[in-house]
Amino acid sequence: MPKNIPEPFVKLLPFALSAAITLAACSPGADGARKDSSAGGSPAAASTGASDGQLTGAGATFPYPIYSKWFADYAAKTGVKINYQSIGSGGGIRQLSEQTVDFGASDAPMSDQEMAGAKGGPVQHIPTVLGAVCVTYNLPDVKQTLNLTGDLIADIFLGKVTKWNDGRIAALNKGVSLPNRDIVVVHRSDGSGTSYIFTDYLTTVSAGWKGGPGKGKDVKWPVGLGGKGNEGVTGQVKQTPGAIGYVELAYARQNKLPTAAVRNASGKFVEPSIDAVTAAAAGVAQKLPPNSDYRISIVNAPGADAYPISSFTWILLYKTQPNGDKGKKLLDFLHWALHDGEQSAPSLDYAPLPAVLAARLDSTLATIKVGAAP
Amino acid sequence: MTTATKDWSGAPSGRQRAVAERTVRSIRRRRIRSGIMVGLMYAAAALAILPLILIIIHLLRLGGSAVNWAFFTQMPRPPGEHGGGMANAIVGTLILLGISSAVGLPVGIGAGLYLAEKRVTPLATTVRFLADVLNGLPSIVMGIFAWELLVKPVNHFSALAGGAALGAMMIPMVTRTTEEMVRLVPISLREAALALGYSRWRTSLSIVLRTALGGIVTGALVAMARIAGETAPLLFTALGNSFWSTSLKAPIAALPLQIFTYAITPYDDWVAQAWAGALVLVAIVFVISLAARIVTRRRFSAGD
Repeated sequence: MPKNIPEPFVKLLPFALSAAITLAACSPGADGARKDSSAGGSPAAASTGASDGQLTGAGATFPYPIYSKWFADYAAKTGVKINYQSIGSGGGIRQLSEQTVDFGASDAPMSDQEMAGAKGGPVQHIPTVLGAVCVTYNLPDVKQTLNLTGDLIADIFLGKVTKWNDGRIAALNKGVSLPNRDIVVVHRSDGSGTSYIFTDYLTTVSAGWKGGPGKGKDVKWPVGLGGKGNEGVTGQVKQTPGAIGYVELAYARQNKLPTAAVRNASGKFVEPSIDAVTAAAAGVAQKLPPNSDYRISIVNAPGADAYPISSFTWILLYKTQPNGDKGKKLLDFLHWALHDGEQSAPSLDYAPLPAVLAARLDSTLATIKVGAAP
Repeated sequence: MTTATKDWSGAPSGRQRAVAERTVRSIRRRRIRSGIMVGLMYAAAALAILPLILIIIHLLRLGGSAVNWAFFTQMPRPPGEHGGGMANAIVGTLILLGISSAVGLPVGIGAGLYLAEKRVTPLATTVRFLADVLNGLPSIVMGIFAWELLVKPVNHFSALAGGAALGAMMIPMVTRTTEEMVRLVPISLREAALALGYSRWRTSLSIVLRTALGGIVTGALVAMARIAGETAPLLFTALGNSFWSTSLKAPIAALPLQIFTYAITPYDDWVAQAWAGALVLVAIVFVISLAARIVTRRRFSAGD
């Protein structure tokens, strides 16, 4: 304890100082601030002074834990501080477009329209890690892992299959005594990358879903209850026997939720796991056209061991970095993340990129233009 | 008439006894009814504070174990690493409170003084009405407004933008409490000052404002306590910061933002930190409110 005592005082000192500065700076009103910025003179001095050389990023909630680990590790190693805040995928795209952040992050790729609206020019998508969406359920008497197909999941979420002992579920789960219970569908009530991945999958495998709700961060759910966030859906499912819902892989694993094995494109039932997700990416990565912008969906990917409801999550940055210093720092970080950073992904239940893709991304990063260093 | 004389002089008749008994019964009935009503009022009062008590018990149970020395002195840690704290968010919240007070208090107190002095001018009526509208404005709207004005043009999030958004929220609250407090100052004090040759503005500042100071400080502290827990205006202004930063021009961490971010993650360590953060935030609000009470009490005892 005693050896810690000076620390808070050292840390509180800037507060006391800045409070004094605040009071001094704010009292004269806007004049002080205006004088300040005009005195800054060259834009370079203004931009470095503006953020203390720190980089700022904002966006998707889903990769926040792994990103904060990366940025903490990277700061410890290099001293470069990159501040990432989870404000949602949509928010990340918006703030990048308005150039209020140095980079964005999203679980869903930007649409062509969003790309065109970005004020800083063309945007590069860099996949960082992979996630998966798990189908979780609450059947107290069923101890085995349930097998489901995409078509069946779609029909359950469309409200066409309403009983757990429906013939189609029973056909996939021989030897499991399914209860005569109503199926209670639980979906996200908020706009979410998780919903995007889930509905992207259902749209790919089910004509009924494609012609109905379709894919999106927020769709018109035909049936079911809404829950806010992964924790909301989990809560609803846990409270309601007979419920079925979907949550992201890290959430399901940390909370030890039962998850269904889903039949993939090769006809095999695969339980969600880190290896199965990386396998899904590997299958797609090998067939990637050379000019790909990485805005690719890997749902229902080929490969015997691929888990079908998988997706990349992306960091978004401008192809021409306006600030040389920050641009270089960001590229250095991304290079580190794609090689060293990936190794810590599995410990937090994120699937690392397949090695072949990480290697390819190096050459993509090399094409990013960095403005002249100030 | 005869009965009346008998009443006052002799022993009570049967009828009189009946009346007396009825009166006693009636009083007893009223007392019982009164007792029941008072009991109900106590129950209502207890119910009113019950949520606060439950929240504090809940916070202590879930967050108490994570509140320790490290929580106040260390930085957040990534998931999977135990310990760590929210030193940056605690200091960030205090800095934001400082900025918002610097923005909101002078304007709010000045406007309140004006409203109290010029009660019925068209401008005062308009300002009063607009202050009430501003008071009811959803805080997220204030955040978007601050984003358009202070974040978008300069292309970066900043503590200053967050503080300004919170400060703008403080202005109407402080304006209205200041007005109420200044109005309580007796007119005779004002007249005495004017009679002694003080100018109007001098009377306002040196006599009226000074007399009402205790109440105004209380109002200011209550406003600070209210905005300390605001999350929505900070989302798109201060943004939050995972590192140590006290720069006014950079994104800054704040307790409500950090709580929000951590509470929705799947990791137990972070969720525990979120509970601890909530407990500390409630404690900060509690301390500010307590300070407000003490200031009020001192004001009244000084007035005696």
